Amino acid sequence: MNALPRFELFTLGDGEKAIEVVEDTKIPNAATIRVAKQDHTLANMIRGYLLKNPKVLFAGYKVPHPLEPHFILKIQTDGTATPVEVLQEVCTTLLTLVAKIEGKFKEQFQQKELEVGLEEPYGAPGGRLPRGDYTEPRRANAMDYLDF
Amino acid sequence: MEKIELSRLVQLHPERVSHVSSTDYPGHWPGEDHTWDLEVFRHNLRLDIQRLTPSTIDFDLIGVDASIANALRRILIAEVETIAIEKVFVWQNTSVMQDEVLAARLGLVPLRIHPGRLETWQPEATATDANTISFQLQVSCTRRPNVSSAETDPSKLYENSTVYSSHMIWQPVGQQGHLPDWVSDPPAVAAPDIVLLKLRPGQEVHAELHCVKACGREHAKWSPVATATYRLMPHIDIVSPVPERLQQKFVESFSPGVIGRRKGQGGKGMEVYVKDARRDTVSRNVFMHPEFEGVVKLGRVRDHFLFSVESAGQIPPQALLPEAIAVFRRKIKVVSSALEELIHPTAAAEEGEKEAADGEEREDGGMDVDL
Repeated sequence: MNALPRFELFTLGDGEKAIEVVEDTKIPNAATIRVAKQDHTLANMIRGYLLKNPKVLFAGYKVPHPLEPHFILKIQTDGTATPVEVLQEVCTTLLTLVAKIEGKFKEQFQQKELEVGLEEPYGAPGGRLPRGDYTEPRRANAMDYLDF
Repeated sequence: MEKIELSRLVQLHPERVSHVSSTDYPGHWPGEDHTWDLEVFRHNLRLDIQRLTPSTIDFDLIGVDASIANALRRILIAEVETIAIEKVFVWQNTSVMQDEVLAARLGLVPLRIHPGRLETWQPEATATDANTISFQLQVSCTRRPNVSSAETDPSKLYENSTVYSSHMIWQPVGQQGHLPDWVSDPPAVAAPDIVLLKLRPGQEVHAELHCVKACGREHAKWSPVATATYRLMPHIDIVSPVPERLQQKFVESFSPGVIGRRKGQGGKGMEVYVKDARRDTVSRNVFMHPEFEGVVKLGRVRDHFLFSVESAGQIPPQALLPEAIAVFRRKIKVVSSALEELIHPTAAAEEGEKEAADGEEREDGGMDVDL
């Protein structure tokens, strides 16, 4: 009833910033970062990998209200880097990490001939997606994940 | 069975689980450095495809944090974009099914269209050939001539007594009918035999169906999976031998195929061994029997995820994970470019252009798999 229109879960509003940083005045080397239009998917991941960084003393996140599509991330560092720099490092970490996962996945298809099981689980009829490869010329101006 | 360090195990006890959270953080264990390192990660990361069928893919993802596995699962369900029917213009509907029920039903029909063909639907946008695909549904039911009066089967008595998803016909608009890849692989439904509604003689439906691209967060009909799940790899450690008279009972305490029996070492008697821990449902039935107390230790491997992903039909199963990873990258890139803007207010814009140029050289992305 009080929920926003669902597209507002992922489209930034007019003048809304993807990230806002408020530096903490009472705790040294600490910042509160508000990330708009993102949820637990990104928040938990960033928190997890912030903790794997030795410069980070504290990292935590919360989604203040389930109907409001943003989360708040609190970071405190040991002073050798600012919270914003540490967060940028974590983004790079996650990008390399996911590239490795994708590499491994594609390797599996290149190295061995995968046998396509004829038997479908859950009693679904077999051979429902005889689609061949999934490469397709995309629209010239379409965004692709390799465009970044 | 593979030996696994205790720190990688979630431990299962008769009444509780323990050691649930991962502890591989710097500063957690004295004298141990758990800082994230690319080389260590590369060495530990494994991805094994266990099964690939026309509609499902099962794979093992080993060596990542739970937050990564969960992000991939959540993205697969809610953030990979697909194309589904969004607007239904009903010109005629004399069937027993109400217009709104029919429209809700049509929305859920999976469409086999490459999502790259359309632009994402923007709120308040107007329909163009770049963001909308149109289907026509026009079916009327008639009585078949010369059918025996004793016949009771509606499919023999009437023409079009059941409306299937294959009755939806693609109507090219604008440029769509002239693009070679659209003509060679026209937009179609993923399964032709989905029952949409039933008709009787004299009844008719005629509707125009507008399909747009969006993601599962907006509505589940855009979700490309049905569904994506993971569980942790069960780990069974038989610490002391099971006497032969109890072996049958021990085997039956686990799911079929988990525990096997073989000739004991030195050729005397039989012994039990863990044949395939993956098949275990982790019922913990073995803890019910006092005679097996202390015989077995159960656990689950904290960083070994058994993914099971079923495609709903829009995207073939082997392309689902690469699509999810593309979304994953885009999400992080939003944060990282916003941070870049904060740190170096002008440099970020230039770098964005440079990276876009780099991307064009690597156009060969995507899967080259023949199934």
